[in-house]
Amino acid sequence: MPDMAGNNKFKLTCLYILAFGVLILMIAPYIYMVLGSFAAWDQVDRKIIPTEFTLRSYEWLFFGGEGANARPWMRSFFNSIFVSTTSAVLMIVTALFVSYSLAKLKFKGNRVINNVILFQMFYPAVILLIPLFLIIRYFGMYDTYWAMILPKAVNLWAIFMYTNFFRGLPDELIEAAKIDGASQWKIVWKIVLPMSKSITTIIFLFVFMERWVELLWDMIVVNSEDMLTLNVLLAQMFGPYGGYPGPMYAASVLLTLPILILFIIFSKNFKKGMQFVLK
Amino acid sequence: MEKSTARLGWLFASPYLIYSLIFFLFPLLWATYLAFTNWNLISPDYEFVGISNFIEAFFSESVRAAFFVTYKFLGMFVPIAVVGALMLAMIIHTLPRFKGLFSVAFFLPYLASGVASAIVVNGVLSYNSPFNIWLRGTFGLDIDWLGSSILAPLIIALMMAWKFAGYYALLFVAGLESIPKDIYEAAEIDGAVGFKKFWYVTLPMLYPSFYTVTILAVGLMFGIFTEPYVLTGGGPDLATHTWQLEIYSQAFERLNAGYGTAIAVINSIVTFGSILVFRKILEKWGARHGWE
Repeated sequence: MPDMAGNNKFKLTCLYILAFGVLILMIAPYIYMVLGSFAAWDQVDRKIIPTEFTLRSYEWLFFGGEGANARPWMRSFFNSIFVSTTSAVLMIVTALFVSYSLAKLKFKGNRVINNVILFQMFYPAVILLIPLFLIIRYFGMYDTYWAMILPKAVNLWAIFMYTNFFRGLPDELIEAAKIDGASQWKIVWKIVLPMSKSITTIIFLFVFMERWVELLWDMIVVNSEDMLTLNVLLAQMFGPYGGYPGPMYAASVLLTLPILILFIIFSKNFKKGMQFVLK
Repeated sequence: MEKSTARLGWLFASPYLIYSLIFFLFPLLWATYLAFTNWNLISPDYEFVGISNFIEAFFSESVRAAFFVTYKFLGMFVPIAVVGALMLAMIIHTLPRFKGLFSVAFFLPYLASGVASAIVVNGVLSYNSPFNIWLRGTFGLDIDWLGSSILAPLIIALMMAWKFAGYYALLFVAGLESIPKDIYEAAEIDGAVGFKKFWYVTLPMLYPSFYTVTILAVGLMFGIFTEPYVLTGGGPDLATHTWQLEIYSQAFERLNAGYGTAIAVINSIVTFGSILVFRKILEKWGARHGWE
């Protein structure tokens, strides 16, 4: 008997070592990125593990860079924050109302809408790319924030998720609120939204992230340097900054940090929300 | 009362309806029309050219490359991502403690932008990186990772597997948790232990998760853009030239809007068809093993 317990303990230790090894492997690229951003410039991409450190890469980033290499890094960071936040909030608000109407306000046609949404979700969106660009240009929104926000103000996946979730909410609650004289607007804001906290945080996290890492669309509809998102600017500087890998790593850190912070803030609701999303 | 609810229903649904009209239905129809023209994105004049765009695409080397590259990515990415995710899930599932910590940690790569991970991969694997200098110096291994038409797609597939494995693993964990305990007990009575138990009980019981993960992974492969755009630019020799790269370069670099749209139409048909075929295969396999 004690033998078996020892055996189990050994197995468990192996499992933890394996798990820890895999964990290191999964976060190794992040570690490399952070080390590269702080490494002395003559060591970036020259030493696997740098030994001397400097803040020069971040200085370069915060003050735009030197001479011909100056770029509006901070402005692009702001653009990313602004565009992604606005877009994600709009996606949440629109999805909230659309899904509520699909799940709880019985009207003719809501079945059809549901099926159309499913079809749209699985339709390869790339076919829309060129005409969407033309529509944006036609409305004079080329090279503006509108171009990056409006076509991404409604998210089908968010609607789909909310609709499924709202279907599970008890009708009695809504009926009771109605009897108390609450309008449907109020019901959505004061009853439905607070009841869907964990799913809302997950949906927000996912749509924000999707918006944050968007490359193709933001590359197409924006041209002037001051309008670029951080993701696009970083992608564009990949070649030209070939001799300055330090700032590239610092910008990568800057690009990863907001998502990471958001993830940490929401991690309390992560498990509960994910359980629903993965169903 | 009923009528006002219906009106409110339409009102609440209107953001979706307006959006779908302007940003889905209209562009869809327009795309179908554009695909048959020779418009160049700028000039006010263009002509209706019938199916000549499609014929040109059919004989185009880069379109053919995009077609095959996608399946090459699929063949590399799907097995790596599915097996990797399953391993992560088994680790999370078997651990008696810190399940939450590890599932969150394995999920972290999902937060990375493809641009940032491309920068890191380039830093580690470019020809004169410290890693490659070390390989050459110590083992005499001279490998041009990103310049080889076999290794470059494999590296991109691995990058994407790194990003998505933790996410897919969560799907597998949910599947593992839903397997009833008494099935294992019954299997143990029949003498199934260790790997046998995993192979004959766990794996077949995970079919619904396999189905979801595989379809998600297959769908993903038809929309790759960021990683090859930043890291390889579609090279070497079109070895990582995806559909999206082809459409982007035709429409927005060479300004062949009509031709680019025709390629997008072909791409969407290929994507739709391929996913349908994969679904049918998986469903057939499932039905044969008792899954409806």
